[in-house]
Parts: sequence; structure tokens; C-alpha cells
Amino acid sequence: MADFTLKIRRFDPESGAPAYWADYDVDLPPERSVLDGILQVKDREDASIAIRCSCRAAICGSCGVRINGHSALACNTRIGEAAERGRDGVITVEPMGNMPVVKDLVTDMEAVHWKKVRRVVPWLVPAEEPPEGREYIVPAEAMLDVTQAMACIHCGVCVSACLSLEVDPDFVGPAALAKAYRFVGDPRDGEHEARLKDLAEDPHGIYDCTHCFACVEVCPKDVAPMNQIMRLRRRATDDYGIKDSNNGYGHEKAFTTIIERWGTLHEAQLLPRSFGDGSLVKGQTRPSAVAQLVESLPTVIRGLRSGKVTPRKALLHKKLPDQKEVQRIFDEVESHDERIELNLYIIGELGEDEESA
Amino acid sequence: MKLAYWPGCVSRGFTPELHGSVAKVAPLLDLELVELDRANCCGAGVIAEHNQELADTLNARTFAMAQSVDGAAGMMNICSTCQGAQSECQERLDISGSYRAEVNKHLEAEGLSYRADGGWWNKNFLWILAEEIGFEALRERVVRPLSGMRIAPFYGCYIVRPTKRLGIDERPERDQYLGLLIEALGGEAVEYAGARKCCGFPVITMNRTTSLRQAGRHLADAIDAGADCLVTPCPLCHLNLDLQQPAAQQYVERDLGIPVLHLPQMVGLALGLEPKELGMGKHVVPTDDVQRKVADLAAA
Amino acid sequence: MPQHDVLVIGAGLAGQRAALAAAEAGASVGIISKVHPVRSHSNAAQGGINAALDPQDSWESHAFDTVKGSDYLGDQDAIEIMCREAPNELLELEHLGVTFHRDERGRLGRRAFGGASAARTYYVADITGQAILHVLYEQLMKFEEVTRYEEWFSTALVQDHDGRIAGVVTRNIRDGAMELFGAKAVILATGGNGQIYDPTTNALICTGDGIAMAYRIGAPLMDMEMIQYHPTTLAGLGLLITEGARGEGAHLYNAEGERFMERYAPNKMELASRDVVSRAEQTEINEGRGFPDGTVALDITVVPRKRIHEALREIVNVGRDFAGVDITSEPIHIKPGNHYVMGGVKTDIYGQTAIPGLYAAGECACVSVHGGNRLGANSLLDTLVFGRRSGEHAAGAVKGLPLSEPSKASLNDEEDRISKIVDRSGTGRRVSELKAELGKTMDKYVAVFRDEAGLNEALGIVRRLKEEAETVAVDDKGTVFNQDVLGALELQFMLDNAEAIVISAIERKESRGAQFRTDYPDRNDDEWLKHINVSANGAEPELSYSPVTMTQWEPQERTY
Repeated sequence: MADFTLKIRRFDPESGAPAYWADYDVDLPPERSVLDGILQVKDREDASIAIRCSCRAAICGSCGVRINGHSALACNTRIGEAAERGRDGVITVEPMGNMPVVKDLVTDMEAVHWKKVRRVVPWLVPAEEPPEGREYIVPAEAMLDVTQAMACIHCGVCVSACLSLEVDPDFVGPAALAKAYRFVGDPRDGEHEARLKDLAEDPHGIYDCTHCFACVEVCPKDVAPMNQIMRLRRRATDDYGIKDSNNGYGHEKAFTTIIERWGTLHEAQLLPRSFGDGSLVKGQTRPSAVAQLVESLPTVIRGLRSGKVTPRKALLHKKLPDQKEVQRIFDEVESHDERIELNLYIIGELGEDEESA
Repeated sequence: MKLAYWPGCVSRGFTPELHGSVAKVAPLLDLELVELDRANCCGAGVIAEHNQELADTLNARTFAMAQSVDGAAGMMNICSTCQGAQSECQERLDISGSYRAEVNKHLEAEGLSYRADGGWWNKNFLWILAEEIGFEALRERVVRPLSGMRIAPFYGCYIVRPTKRLGIDERPERDQYLGLLIEALGGEAVEYAGARKCCGFPVITMNRTTSLRQAGRHLADAIDAGADCLVTPCPLCHLNLDLQQPAAQQYVERDLGIPVLHLPQMVGLALGLEPKELGMGKHVVPTDDVQRKVADLAAA
Repeated sequence: MPQHDVLVIGAGLAGQRAALAAAEAGASVGIISKVHPVRSHSNAAQGGINAALDPQDSWESHAFDTVKGSDYLGDQDAIEIMCREAPNELLELEHLGVTFHRDERGRLGRRAFGGASAARTYYVADITGQAILHVLYEQLMKFEEVTRYEEWFSTALVQDHDGRIAGVVTRNIRDGAMELFGAKAVILATGGNGQIYDPTTNALICTGDGIAMAYRIGAPLMDMEMIQYHPTTLAGLGLLITEGARGEGAHLYNAEGERFMERYAPNKMELASRDVVSRAEQTEINEGRGFPDGTVALDITVVPRKRIHEALREIVNVGRDFAGVDITSEPIHIKPGNHYVMGGVKTDIYGQTAIPGLYAAGECACVSVHGGNRLGANSLLDTLVFGRRSGEHAAGAVKGLPLSEPSKASLNDEEDRISKIVDRSGTGRRVSELKAELGKTMDKYVAVFRDEAGLNEALGIVRRLKEEAETVAVDDKGTVFNQDVLGALELQFMLDNAEAIVISAIERKESRGAQFRTDYPDRNDDEWLKHINVSANGAEPELSYSPVTMTQWEPQERTY
């Protein structure tokens, strides 16, 4: 047994008092969980501490909290490790972020998380009538592929950690978008394009993710929501050519086109091409693009004035000496019939090479 | 120490002061840098978003070039985003031999091949400082301790997450290097909310509000925590935090105006280089206050 | 007062399936759950769902395996229905979107499971329960006709003057408001009662609420002595390691490195029925061939790594996170642990209980399809088939019935009961202490091996705890999210469950299925091939018997 101190964020909406921190001592072996610690406090000392919890095994998704500031499930965070990471060995436990607090460690998942889930039409819309007397026949890989998104237990930990949500509460968010991929990746669903179009056009949709890895880092089930969002983008742009008004399509096309043609990033062309669905001409002539360019003008002028960028450098980006090789790689890889994607969730951390006989 | 050196695109594009300052600092640290001037863009995650195999192949090409630099201990990058995007590709290339072979086929024409041997590495300048040079050894080289300077570390997402891929699970201190470095150089690392948050740059063309709210908020937090400046190992973060800082003000509805240093600029100052040599005049947010403080610091 | 034709209590698989079926049949439906539906314990069903879908397989074979698994205590008419309806139920789930594992031809893939003569378990990795639960919840979100009451705690069932079910008293956990719901029919789908044991694989919410509420208004409980100990649970915490592991080929070893199942079930080995495997393990442990921590070893390393990754991902996580063991490279220590109650509220094949208008489905019900021992992957099937049947039947039965008018008196009674708990100042032991003593008692005396003396000891303790529970006090005096007072109510539910279990176990003087009496070590078909029922008769439980329904399978000696 070892002694640990839990510093729990308490909040009682009925008291009229603001939230406060309270310290509790627990004795548990270090390999037990932070949830075990909280339950011990409830059992022995103060049963009024509110926390949702049920399975104790990272399956039900009830006990999302922030431990030492990091969003996690209390039940699969070891108390000993949490103490090592806590300041002065004290483990802070507070409710999840980006959601209103109901009481103590209980947040209002309905007001944020579930509302966003319902936003993405979270059910299968079959492409065809169910076959009589048998299942839909679909590739085994496709079912394995969406298993990663299916593994989501809706704990809200990624929602809590999401850095886009922090500044844009309307962002559809990592969990709901992973849920969207679960249908977009499912060959039985008939609304792939409509779903993608919807989420690409929404200013708070797939292009509102800043690619910060926060959700990937905290997800207790390795759903890697951000990766699912990137797959949504890939399907939207490359499979369906959805030219959205958020420049998502344009940005991807601009970036890849520039690298293909120059080998390194020609920054001065990134903005206009992004505003023009990847095309430099469109990006400098289309009214919506011009408006956005004008909006960016002060930044450009400041860049020029600071001396970090010269007009000559901005306009004349030198091709990589080996640009032809880069071009060749683009040609070769993109001429595949199918995109090759290696998902470590599917093949495992050890990879196929270490496969035991 | 001899290193294959990948400077990335932005350090030679819109933040030339970064590339320039590395050139000044490296000799002072006995780093012999062999620039990979034929290597291509890391893709910054965008090419991987478009086509994973393409991104992996392009980076395998860079790795293969780095591996063929004679006598190099490894590869150095100076951009958090390069670190993250390349680590992601490297993880996939290392895990599957059959996939690696597939990718290497595209490199055959150039006589290149990426070899996955456990020892080869690609490290950001920050990691080189911490792990290959060491903060102790670095401290001995400091001629102008940054005493009295309050510096807010800004890591950039790609160099701190996901912790497993970036080796932070095995080396938890990797998550702290920037703060430790500031202190090793004699400065004071400022604690504030934004150190490991997102600068917003990846969505600057797609959602300007989200992007600049993020940048603005972290800058404001650093100011409120009493920082004199920020320091970042990521030139893309620098673009959003410095180049876009005047624009970010309106999204957080307050004045900002805090200088943002590139990592090698900060190191260079402590090693005795002059602000001008480090390109500190080429910032959008003037670095005058920092320069003045540096000038006031007694040379050790 | 919220009014519905059909009110479902509990939103796991049985509850959600019942709600969808009743709604599809045109009823106005409300579904009440003390947790958000996706938190329900159906999540924890890892391994899969049985169905004789393959043309080489037959529902008769599935039914026979189930009958044999039940040690002939299962009702064969109900088992036939379950096994016949299984393939369609499975296909319907697939059509709704469950991402079942496929074979290389894109058809549904199967795995082997315990006590089954064919590989007929369909699965989604080892998150089958979760995958199905989430797909049903998707459908609930889609069918807005079903009103969801998420995080509402039901405290008591209400009858009208004629004894017909009329509604339920609930507490909105969010704000503590008490509410009386009116309903023409109520379907209990509140799950099991594993929390009366410590350790248990069951979640903290599995406190037998529905079983106790039905019992309190006079519905008989059946087969309550039949408590399944799962063969592979983690020592200490009691967390589950799926039977899918053995289905994929994992072996059991004792501390001497011996694959001991050879001595207990030479044909089926590790894939014998759960009662058989658990008894074998407990025998090894009791006779000194276990590990010092009172366990035996489960060796999954014999399963190819790729297959583990694809099909047993969740238990890799459980091993790593909760036991610190990489199950892909070393054996993990396990022991039998409380897992499932075969018994429950006695129902017919439509889920109807003895109380008019009251139905039960899933683990809280006893149809009885599991008899003395449930086969792995039959529980998901039970919840879905009988959840649907209950929903359909209830929707049909209430057509034309007038709105129910439950008496406000019951609401007042429940409000009083709860205020008394909240207002009481603490003198005796804490709820947690009583619960802990109950758990240890049940796990000690009412486990894999039982005898008269131990069971009597347990009964004495349970009855003392019931008295103590009448006077417990709580720390939380508030209304918002007062989990403390709910815990006190749950403790009382649990003690009713425990008492029914213990007196049934004392009554059954033979060994059958999960009930092994060391003082009556043999099965005794002459005297005990019958169900034991428990009904509340005032304060004293009353025992009675009902016959086992036989259709085509006569009892035989049971070997694996």
C-alpha cells in the first residue's frame, strides 16, 4: 500500500458557492486506478463526491475526467503513475473540459457531446434494401477498418482535450467526426458523398480540425479521431472531389500541386491556390478568392516590410534540383488503382514482420 | 558531431532568419551540418492527408539521402512540423518490411533506399541540444546567460504529440526540453496555459477565426504570465504567432505585441551572437525589447 | 405525469431492443435508464452472439447444446424459440449496421465458443456487446418516437387496484426530482445483480434493481441459486477475460504446468461449459495446484499475434492496463469469478411476468433459457430475442387499453422513503461497509462450491445486513446528482436479490449447473429436475416449484 493525495475539484450547484479544491488521502497499491482512489474516498470519507463510473475497465466510458490537467478515464489511469506526474506528487482530478459541469466531476455530455454526435446523422443509411435472408456482403478489410471508429466508447475524453473546440465551441469535434467516418468507411452506407459534402461545407466541420493530435493522444481506445478526420478529408477531396467553400479542397490541392511542381513549398502560391481550389488562376481571379486575398493583404505587407520576405523570393521560388524525381514519385504512387494505407491500429504495434509462426 | 541536415521549406522561405541563425549557431556547438539540398518537403501532414503512401515515399527519400551522408550520426531537422510529419512516416516505414519494400521501389531509380535499422534517428534541433550535446555541456558554452529574461516555451503540437510515436513515453523529459533549455541558458521559463497547445496555423486558410483565436489566446496567456517573449522550435507556429500576430489581435480583442523567437535565435543569444546576426530584425513583431535586454546582459 | 403505452426500464440490449420493437409495433414508448444507454453493462459482453446461421449448422444443434449447457434445467420451449429466432435476429442487427467480422468472402465470420458443438459465435473483435449496443442506440436516436429518459433512477413499480402494472416511480438524477410515470405496460430490462458479489465482472450499476422491484410487488423469481462464475476473471479486480480467448485456442494451465482440463473435459477441454471449467479451476486451486495468488494461468500466446490483435484487442488492453501483463507474450493469472445470474423474474416466452402488464427481458428475467448454466454468447442472444418479443407483445397487448392512472400515493411513499434516508444522521455503518460485507459473504459462501452450513451462515449475514440497511445514513444531502442516496437504495435492492439467491441455494439439495453442493455432489433428476421460485410474502420469502418444460431432449449424463 502507498499513500496518495487526490486533489479533487468540487462543485455543488446548489450551494451557490464557486468550485473549490479539496484534498483527500487514499491508500492503494500504485497499480490501482485513480477511479479506485476516488471510490475509496467516497466509501470511507465523503460519499457526496459525484463521478459517473460503472465498469471499472475502460469499456463503459463513464469516468472521463482531467487528471493533472490531462483528459483521461479515471479507471485506466494508474494512481501511482498519476502521482509521479502530479505536481509535488499530488494528483489533481477535475471535470472534463469543453463541457459544462453539473456537479463535482460530472459534466453535461448531452449538451455538447451527444448533440454533436446527433449532428452527423449517426446511423447507417443503407445504400440498398437489406438482402433477403442473408447479410450484406462486404470486404473483411472494410469491417476491420471501421472497427477502429466503432471502438469509440463515447467517453468524451477527446472532446475534453480538443484544442479547436476550446476556441470554437461549434466545431463538430473529434468524437462525432470519428463517428461520421464509421459510416463513410462502411460500404453498406449509401450516403457517403452527402455526408462528406455536409461536413466539408460546414465551417465547423472536417476543416475546422487543426491537426493537433490532442484527441489521438488522449483516446483510451486508440480510435485516433484525428486520423479519422483526415480520412474524411481524403475521401472528400480525392474520392468525391468536393470543392468546399472552406478551402479544404483548395488547401490540399494547392499544397500537393506545389510540392509536385517545385519539390519544396512555394509559400507565396499557397494562399491564392488554396482560395482557388488549387488553381493559381482561379485563386487570383475568382471573386471569393480575391476577397480572401485582400483579407490576407495586410499580413503579406507586414511580411514584406519586416524584410523576411522579398518580392523576388515570393514570386520566384526555385525548383528543387531533383524536382523531376519528386514528380516521378507523384506519378508512380498516384497511378496505383488503390491507395495503400497502413493503419497501425489494424496491423498492430509489432507489425506484420514480427508475426509469430 | 556530423549530421545530415534537413532545414525544411519554411526556414528557407518565409522565416529565413531561422535557417540563417542555425548556420550561425551550429559551428559554436561543433555541429557539422551537411544540408540535404536535394531533399523534398516533408508534406507537413497535408500530403499524408491526401495520400499516405506518397508522403511516406517522399520522406523515405529524405531519410535515404540522410542515411547516405558519410559519417553522419543521424539527421537533424529544425521544424516541429517536419519532426512530427516525418516521425509519422518513419513509424509506418519501420513497422512493416513489406510496406517499406514497396515504398523503396519508388526510390530505386535514384539509387536510394531507406534502411530501417533501429539506431538511425531524425531529431529536431531541440532534441539534439538535449540528447546529443546535453544541457550540462551547453551550459558550459553559454557566454551570455539570459538571466532575467522571462521566456515562454511554445512547443508546437507535432513535437509533443502523440507521445508514444515521439518517444516521449520512454523519455518523458522530451516533453520538458524547451523549459529545461531556457533554464540551462540562464533564462526563466514562464509557465502558461498555451505551451503545448496548437498555434492554429494548419487551418489558417480554412478557418481563420479558429486559427487566429488559438494564436491570439496563447500569446495573451504568455503576456499575462509575464513573459518577455516566446520561443518556438516550429517555424509554422512562428508564422501564426509572429507574422499573423497583428491580425490575431482582433480575434482576441486585445493588444498583443510580444516577440516570438526561433529556438536557434535564443540559443545564439546565449552563445554570444548578436541579435542582428540571428536575423532578429526580420520579425513582424519587433524584438527591440528583447534586444535591449540582451544588450544589458553582462557578457560572462 | 409522463404517460406511455409501454415503458421500458433499463437501456442495455434487452431494453433498447424492446423499446424499438414496441415502437415499431405502433406503441408510444418511453425508455428509462439510470445511466446513459451506452454506459449499460451490455458493453462488457465481449465474445459474441450465437446463431445457427451456417447451412451446415442447425437450430436444433444450438438448442441441444443450450439444453445440455443448462444441465437440463432450461425450459426447452423457450430455448427452441431462442435458437430458431437467432439467425434472423443476427441478420437484422447486421442490416442495422453492426460491423460483424467477415471472412475472406465477405460473409459473416464465426468463432468457437464454450459448450457449443459448432463454431456459431458471430462477433465484432471482442467488443461485440458494445458494437451492438451502439448500433441500437443509433436506432433510438433515429426513432424520435421513443422518448429517452437518460439518467433517471427507478425506485418502485406501481400497480392499479386490480393489480395490473400502472407505472413506475423515478428520480431524475440530474436534479433529484421525483416523478411518477404512467404506463399500460412496463418492461423490466435492468440487467443482473453481480454487485452483490465481490469481486465480480459486473459493472457498478449491476445491482439487481429490476429483480428487486418486481419481487417487492409479488412477482416470483426463478432459478436464483444459479449464479455463474466465469472461468477467466482477473484475480482481485474481477475483470473479465473473454471466453473468446479460449475460443481462439488459448489454454489453461495449473502451477505445475499441466493442462488440467484434460482430466475434467477430455473432449472439449477449455471449451467445456463454464460451470465445468470454473469447477475444474477451483478444484485445482483448492487442491494446491494453483498459483500462490489463488489462480491458474490462461495462455493466449498460442494464438497467433495477428489474430490476437484482430480479435482479442480489448483483453490485450485489459491485461496491460489492469494486470500489467502483455498477454501476447506471457500467460495471465485468472480465476473463476462472479459473472451472471441465470435466474431472475420468472416470465413466459413473451416476457410476461406474473403481474399483469409487467414484462421482463434479458439478465433480469428468467424465461428460462439458461437453466443451471448459461453458454457463452447466449446472453446477447437472450437479450435481443426476448427483448424484441417482450416489446412486440407488450405493444400488442396494450392496444385499446385506457391510460393507466397510477396512484399518487406511491409517489409520496417513495418521496418519504428517500427523504428519510437523506434526513437521517449517521449512527451505524456506511453503505460502502455493508456492501463490502455482502460482497465478501456471497463470494465466500455462495460461489462455485457451496454447502448447507456456509449457506446458512450467508443467510444470517444477509438478514442482518438487511436490518442494518434500514437505518443507513448518507453524506450527500443534496438533490443534484446525489449518487449517495441512490447507493443506499441500490443496497436494499441488492440485499433482496441476495436473500433470494441464498434461500434458493439452500433449498436445492443437489448439484446441477452452477450450483455445486459439496454436501449433495450429484445431480438428482428424480427430486430436483424443477425450478425453484421465490416470492415475497410479507417479510418472509416463500418458496415454490415449477416444472421444467421438456420438448425433445431427455436428461442425459453431462460430459464434455
